[in-house]
Amino acid sequence: MGSGSIAVARRAGIADNSAAEKHAISLPKFFMVLGQLILLLLCVRQFQIESDAFLQVFVLVIAGFCVHYFLPFAWRIHWFLALSIASIFLVFGWTNALWMILIGCGLIFLCHVPIAYRYRIALIAAAAVVLGTLRTSSIALPFSAAVWPILGSMFMYRMIVYLYDLKHDRVPLGLSHRLAYFFMLPNVCFPLFPVVDSNNFRRLYYSEERHATYQTGVVWITRGIIHLLLYRYVYYYLTVAPADVVNAGSLIQFLVANFLLYLRVSGLFHLVIGLLHLFGFALPETHKLYYLSSSFTDFWRRINIYWKDFMMKVFYYPVYFRLKRFGSTSALVWSTLLVFLLTWMLHSYQWFWLRGSFPIEWQDGVFWGLLAVVVVINSVWEINTRRSRALGAVRWYSKRSLGKSVRIILVFASICSMWSLWTCESMEEWLDMWSVLARSQVTLAGLLLGAIGFVVAVLTISVIDSSMSNARQQQITNKGDRGPFSSRRMTATVLQVILLAAIGLPQVYTMLNADAANFILSLRSEKLSRTDTQKLEKGYYEDLIRVDRFNSQLWEVYSKKPVDWLAVTGSGLKQFRDDFLQEELRPSSRSLTEHGDITTNEWGMRDQSYSKAPDAGSFRMALLGASSVMGWGVADSETFDAVLEKKLNSSAVELGYDKVEILNFGVAGYYPLQQIMALDYALEFQPQAVFYIATGREYRRAAYYLYDVIAKQIAIPYPYLRDLAARAGIDSSTTETEALRRLRPYDKELLQWLYREIVARCRAHAITPVWVFLPQVNRGRWEENVAETVQDAKDAGFATINLLDVYGSHPIEQVQLTEWDFHPNALGHNLVAQRLYRELLDHRDVYFAR
Amino acid sequence: MDIRESIRSYILAEFLPGEDPANLEDTTPLIASGILDSLATMRLVGFIEEEFSVEIGPHETDPEYIGTIDSIERLVRSKLDGAR
Repeated sequence: MGSGSIAVARRAGIADNSAAEKHAISLPKFFMVLGQLILLLLCVRQFQIESDAFLQVFVLVIAGFCVHYFLPFAWRIHWFLALSIASIFLVFGWTNALWMILIGCGLIFLCHVPIAYRYRIALIAAAAVVLGTLRTSSIALPFSAAVWPILGSMFMYRMIVYLYDLKHDRVPLGLSHRLAYFFMLPNVCFPLFPVVDSNNFRRLYYSEERHATYQTGVVWITRGIIHLLLYRYVYYYLTVAPADVVNAGSLIQFLVANFLLYLRVSGLFHLVIGLLHLFGFALPETHKLYYLSSSFTDFWRRINIYWKDFMMKVFYYPVYFRLKRFGSTSALVWSTLLVFLLTWMLHSYQWFWLRGSFPIEWQDGVFWGLLAVVVVINSVWEINTRRSRALGAVRWYSKRSLGKSVRIILVFASICSMWSLWTCESMEEWLDMWSVLARSQVTLAGLLLGAIGFVVAVLTISVIDSSMSNARQQQITNKGDRGPFSSRRMTATVLQVILLAAIGLPQVYTMLNADAANFILSLRSEKLSRTDTQKLEKGYYEDLIRVDRFNSQLWEVYSKKPVDWLAVTGSGLKQFRDDFLQEELRPSSRSLTEHGDITTNEWGMRDQSYSKAPDAGSFRMALLGASSVMGWGVADSETFDAVLEKKLNSSAVELGYDKVEILNFGVAGYYPLQQIMALDYALEFQPQAVFYIATGREYRRAAYYLYDVIAKQIAIPYPYLRDLAARAGIDSSTTETEALRRLRPYDKELLQWLYREIVARCRAHAITPVWVFLPQVNRGRWEENVAETVQDAKDAGFATINLLDVYGSHPIEQVQLTEWDFHPNALGHNLVAQRLYRELLDHRDVYFAR
Repeated sequence: MDIRESIRSYILAEFLPGEDPANLEDTTPLIASGILDSLATMRLVGFIEEEFSVEIGPHETDPEYIGTIDSIERLVRSKLDGAR
């Protein structure tokens, strides 16, 4: 290392005597780290970790690391800044990147304007107000709206910490170091980014031996990927909706799975901080075995440590020090309560920069309020009883370790319960969920099983916790631990990386049995779970604003949705009816959308004009369905109805008719039960065939609509439905969750009744009833119950057409309207029309029977 | 006055009762090891202020200042030197 490097090292706080050793080159260690990074890149690619942008940035990181490694120390921070800036251009393109950097540099400049500190704060606050106004205004800006969340994540908290450290003269010293702090790689891919402390960013830069720092980075990236894959497993296979909680077992599954979803955040944060280690930032860990918290204060210390440190540094300690003259206990209580109140507010503040709105939600208030109370009680108790700490080894069978395990279980159960507040839409729903406990029968066998389970859990946790604690203490005290390059730790990491990379390869997982292969395949891509798909659908149908706050996965999809995305309600496209149907399309209306016009004819169909009675020699078909049939997101001429009609008319003579008419009775937002009334209306137009288009989850959607009309006290004109509601014990006072739970045993019966009813009405008018399954365009499990529903349709007497594979080999992105909207786009509609055309022609004797 | 020994004794007595003193070295990371959490930090700050008649600021609760016995000693010495 040259004298210049040593000078920079000295300025950066690196001791001279160890600098040369810290910066020595070791090719074997370099190649060892590089080899693992390449395998991790393979994992990121095979498992589609996060986004395509992240894959590109990861490639940039590895290439950048190779250069960084051989650079003199003084150049490395400039190189890191160059990579960080390059990543912004890579992901956002020239214009957006330039604007992001320009605005960011402007904010950093304001921090250093040579005026009194308080005036600088005022200047920055004024700049924040201007930016906030632009964030929410509809003024056309010269950059994409996608810039805001990332710009927000770079500056919304880091600016606060930076200003705090600036006051105490502890910000990074060089310009590159300061710029790198804000624009740091890989922030450009992550709107949710840990609050990195500016003092740590300065102080811990190459504070340890370089290879140990790099290898720690590899370990944390690996851990991050494992967390993300575990998250996917929990998200796809374990989450349940509140309405699906029917007994103590499903309640436990609901509570635990929801809390485990936090693995996504801890996974992302490990990934981010691990990547920063590759450039010498020996930052502390972001999470510390938070599922093993033994008290509420312990939980607060272990989960999202960067957030806790930020709050302690900027708010807690300053307030505590001001109040301590009133007594340490009251200072502690008030500063703790303030921290939690601000945590609540700052989450809304974060939401503002990411999404452009400032939500105040009861769930957040109750959760943070409860956590504040228990942490305060816990803190006061700890002050009085003096929490025990240890540096030496702990035996798993010791009284202390076993007692801690019991506390871990109790804290875990409490946090799970509080966490579930975020998953419920209302307090009523949350309380309803717990009511299953009162209805559960307690048996001796159940109690025994529970007791055995508890003992096993205590012993298991004791073993895990004591071994983790002992390993950690060994690392901290450097006794018996030779750092991340020790043979034991190195072997463990390399094995994990190889295993991860291998199981993501189709050549490997297809060698396993079919179930295992399908399981791994399911983990290989990011998609919405069944529960979130339902929520997204519900948000779409009911225009719920809270649908985007249930969890990060759904939130991410929703965060990309423009605020003015096509909305069924409020567009003037529909009109309300005071009966069981509730709404219908407004006749002779025209709405302009970015996807084309939505025009309705004089009869309230999204279709061309037709005479009420069919012409002699024509064949008339009626389509019943919801948004996909109406043609949500495509122009009038692009709906599969329009395309199919055109094609069939080119073959009309061949079919034995002068022309074919397809009347589109699809209405966005219709549920299955509404189709009976839609059919009654369609019958007025004397069709010869009726096509009922099902798009999945028919059972649940039929049950939901029954609950909906009962809750709204709308008269139900069908005696069977009234009888079923009475049998299920539902009235207008029953909450949604409880109603859906009570209807669950009847939902199949309900749909079967609907299908039989439709078929009977068709046959009474000599009409051919056809049932078509048209899948939504997503990767999830939307199409669940398809086989059962097809069978129900056949049993009811429908001719059936299953379009499950209608989109063929087309990638989802090619046929999906958008990432947040699972309707088919114009290509999707075209594929549906082509396929239906072939089906109808191939089986013309069924569908065009005279 | 042996600042280092005084701080070590306080930490051992208050936060690590029964612990082998050899396990607590001058460079043992007090915050990363979980010995100093926010509550312990406040108590330690109170002890330092009283024992050495110095005033600690909120920004001096960072690991940079109180992360190890060594760094605490440096902090106290700098305060004492500044007061002279």
